[in-house]
Parts: sequence; structure tokens; C-alpha cells
Amino acid sequence: MSIDAVPAGGAGRRGALFGGRVQEAAMLLPALALIAVFLLLPFLSSFRIALTNERLIPRPVPPRFVGLDNFQNILSDHEFWVALWNVARFTLMVLPVQCGFALAVALILNTKLPFRNVFRGLFFLPAITSMVVVCVIWATLFQYPTGPFNQILSVLSFGMAGPIDWLGDPRFAMPALVLLSAWQAYGFQMIVYLAGLQGIPESLYEAAELDGANRWQRFWHVTMPSLRQTHIFVLIITTIQAFKLFTQVNILTQGGPRGTTDTVVHYMFTAGFVNQRLGLASAVAIILFFIVLIVSLVQRFVVRDRK
Amino acid sequence: MTSISHPATLAPAPSRPVPRDWSRVIAVVAVSILALVVISPLFLLAVASLKPDRFQILADMGSFRAFWVSDPSLQNFRDVWTFSGALPFGRYLLNSLIILFVTVLGGVFLNSMAAFVLAWGRLPGRAVILTALIALYIVPQESIVLPLLTIVNRVGLSDSFAAQILPFMASPLYIFLIYQFFIQVPRDIYDAATVDGAGPFRIYWSVFLPISLPVLATVAILLGIETWNQYLWPLMVTQTDRARPISVGIASFFGHDSVYWNSAMAASVMMMIPVLIFYLAFQRWFVSSFISSAVKG
Repeated sequence: MSIDAVPAGGAGRRGALFGGRVQEAAMLLPALALIAVFLLLPFLSSFRIALTNERLIPRPVPPRFVGLDNFQNILSDHEFWVALWNVARFTLMVLPVQCGFALAVALILNTKLPFRNVFRGLFFLPAITSMVVVCVIWATLFQYPTGPFNQILSVLSFGMAGPIDWLGDPRFAMPALVLLSAWQAYGFQMIVYLAGLQGIPESLYEAAELDGANRWQRFWHVTMPSLRQTHIFVLIITTIQAFKLFTQVNILTQGGPRGTTDTVVHYMFTAGFVNQRLGLASAVAIILFFIVLIVSLVQRFVVRDRK
Repeated sequence: MTSISHPATLAPAPSRPVPRDWSRVIAVVAVSILALVVISPLFLLAVASLKPDRFQILADMGSFRAFWVSDPSLQNFRDVWTFSGALPFGRYLLNSLIILFVTVLGGVFLNSMAAFVLAWGRLPGRAVILTALIALYIVPQESIVLPLLTIVNRVGLSDSFAAQILPFMASPLYIFLIYQFFIQVPRDIYDAATVDGAGPFRIYWSVFLPISLPVLATVAILLGIETWNQYLWPLMVTQTDRARPISVGIASFFGHDSVYWNSAMAASVMMMIPVLIFYLAFQRWFVSSFISSAVKG
């Protein structure tokens, strides 16, 4: 049936079309307005604020344009470089631990194991646990001197390795945060790997088996190369997550001991919220944005290259 | 499930009949032990929350007594619930639930409505808007919170529910996820509805919404988890108990000289229970939601 065949249809349809557009605009507007006010506007104004000496609570004196002074101050601040280095250190440690464990569990769950779905549900539980709750639990696990980690250490070393003040010792605070963070977040990478593993055609394994490849060879020559895209995706996502490290630090270590767990976001939070130096903090926020942007662009290029 | 392929669906691995032998039993036992070790921190939390003596909790942690409670008591939960002094936990939990429900309901509605117009509308400039949204998606929340705080303060929304709801309801990511689902809907379905003379909102409401339950559930779950676990933003924007969520409430236990482990444990369990209930009820959707949040790349 064609509406155009109806004589009055033309005008009526044009009217409906116009009404339709008004309705469409009304449907699109709420979401766009919220995004404009609460995402685009703060994002754009951070570039403006970063060039001023604006304070969080306005002073009687209006904020002054200071050019690139904030960036200069940050880049010449030893503490900022320590924070950046800490985040890099955290990333380098958390990547193998978190992604390696996620891949191992995904490989186990991808076999013909009975109750696979039950196990998948259990292994995914930490991923839905709030980081605040994780901090409460792990703070007790890391207790000095008689927490579970220290007891296990003592048993394994026959009492030779002394109790470690996990969160209070500059050498161990960051590794402790790495363990806790990897435990909380590996579930996501596990699920992504599981999806990647299920995308590998069974025929590849059958062919490898015919060629006499053992289980180990099949893993290195079939599974790992087939997961290339998944690896890239997982590494990028985990890196971006790692660069935003904050909650654990804020709750458990406050950047200490002796600045060994200070991070970029914690540095920004301290500068902008605690010390009220909004201009300086906005400059840090912009640097963080560009770090995330560059990491994401690297992913785009690497993925596009191989396609 | 409709015929539209949803990226989140996990296909079951092809299963061949396997002889029932000991290796299977050993595999199940080994994986069970691994699973128990991995989730043991959660078990310890549940056990510890039933011990009213906070020094006992710490003393027990270093031994196998951590896995057992001889005289379980709900005292911690009562304390946390009625504590009218520094930390009113009932209030925090209620605040979190209010923020959660309004954000998720509003978010699913606003994002899907916008996604519908972007996918099927006739408004000019849709492609530009879509591109802008995808570009905005890259901006991390962490790098906008401080300017956002000044905006919220300036419009007088500081320390309110609105300050924790409005900024997170609409999101480029979720609009895009729903958009991707909508554009796969066959043209015939849209055309049939137009011929019936229905306006855009009617088509969206009575044709597109009912067939998009999988993607709407995905968005609801992701947005829900994200909202429930918010920390940095509520830490900055709430100054009083009025709208403070439970995450910030629990974290403030750590501010005290001696951590009230018994209360912290009970409060943590209370924070986990709502998530756990939803997880047990919708486990399949939970897991697949996390995958579809991965396809955005």
C-alpha cells in the first residue's frame, strides 16, 4: 500500500514529517544536553582552567591567565614524575599478573570441564565486587604481622622470611596493590579471552593434532597466534585502567609509604581537591587525557595494520 | 533472543561425548580448589562480618579460624544499621539505592531514545552527532571531575543526589551500544510502523523497545555496576551524609585511628548483597554484558 495514492496524503504526510522531526529532536535533546553540560563542557573548560591560577573555592581576586605555567610547574615537579613512574611500574606489574591469570582461567574454562558455567560464575565474582569492599578485605589479608599473607609466607619459608608490612613498606606497597587490583579486575579479561578462545575454529586444532602437535605446541602455535587481536585489546584496556589507578591508593596507602604508591590521578586529586589548586590539577587532567588518547590510538593503528 | 545477532552471546563449546573417567574427576577437583582459593577473600569477608569482636577478627585472620565462626552474631549489622553517630549506614545504603535506580532507569530511557533517533530518525546532522559522541567516549571520567565539580558547585547542585545522577545518566558509550543494536533491526519493521501512521516516539516505544531487551539489560547492568561502584566523584561532591553513597561511607572507616573492622565487614557485606542478588538472578546477562562493553573498541 502506498500512502502517496491517497489524495490528501501528501499534505498530511508533510505535516507528520514535520511533527516527526520535532518529536525526534525532543527525543534526542535530553541525552545530548546532559552530555554537553556534564561531559563536553567540563572537558573543554579544563583546557581553559589549566591556563589560569583558578582555585576550587573562588578567592576575592579573580583568577589570572598564567599561560603554560601550570604545565611547566608539573613537568618540573619531582613528585609528578614519581607518580607517573609509579603508574608505569604498576602497569608493568599488573599486566602480566592480571592478563596471565585471566588467560589461564579462560583456558581452563574453555575445556570440556563439567559444571563449566558454575565455575565461570565463581571466577567472575571478584569482578563484580566493589573496589572499596576489596580494600576492606585485602587490608585484613595484608595485616602486619599476623595476616594471612604473612602466615603463608612464614609457613612456605619455614619461618625464615620475616613478616612483611605489605602496605607500609616502600618496597612492598606497590606489589601489594598490584595483587589486590589484579584479583579484583581479572574477571573482565577472563571473559574477553573466553570469547576469543571460542572464536578459534576447532578445525585448526584438528589439523595441528594430525600434524602430531602436542598440547603445548598447539597452545603456542594455534591458540596464541589466533588470540592476537584479543591480546592487543586486553593489553590496551588493562593499560588504560592501570593509568587511572586511584581508589585503592586513596583508601589504603594515600600515596605512601614515602610516595611509592602516588599515582597520576592521586596527584591530580591532591592538587585540585585537597590543595584547591584547580588550574594545576586541570593541567594534570589534560596530561592524563592525552596519555589515554595515545594508548587508544596505538591500539587503533596496531589493529588496523593487520587487517 | 531475537534473530538479531548479539555480540554478547557466548556460544557453547562443541562438546564431544567424553568417557567418564578419573581424569575428569581430578580436573573438577583441581579447578574447584583453584576457584575456592580465588574467591576465599569473599568467604572470609562473610565469616568475619558475623564476628562482633573486631580484635578477634584480626587475631583469627592469621589462622584457619578465619574460615569459621563459632557463635555467629548479627550484632555488627545491627550496629552498622543503627549507628546514629558518625556513620549512618542505613542512610548510605538507601542513598546508593536511590542513585542507582534513578540513574539506571533514566539512563536506559534517555540513551535508548537518543540511539533510536540517531539510528532511524530523519533529523539532519545525525552522522555528525554520532561521530562527536564516539570521539567524546575516549575522555576518561577522571580527567573531567574537577571542572565538573566547579560546574556543579556553580549551579548549586553540590552535595545532592542530582549531582550524582545527572552527569552519568546519558553516556556516549551506551548510546553507541544501543545504536549498534538498533541499526541491525530490519527496515521492514520500521516501515510497517510508519505506514500505520505512528510517530517516532510511538515507533520507539511500542516497536523498538520491546525487541531490544538484551541490549537494554546490558546497558542497565553495566551502568548499574558503574554507578554502584562510583568512588572518586561522590568522594568529592558529597560533604555531608545527606546524599553520600555507601562506597564513600565504607572508605571513611579507614580515616579512623583504629579501623572498626567488625563494622567495615558488615557494611561491606551490605554493599555486596544487592549486587550478588542481581548477579545470581541474571548471571548469564551479567557476564555477556561485560563482553559487549568490550566490542566498543
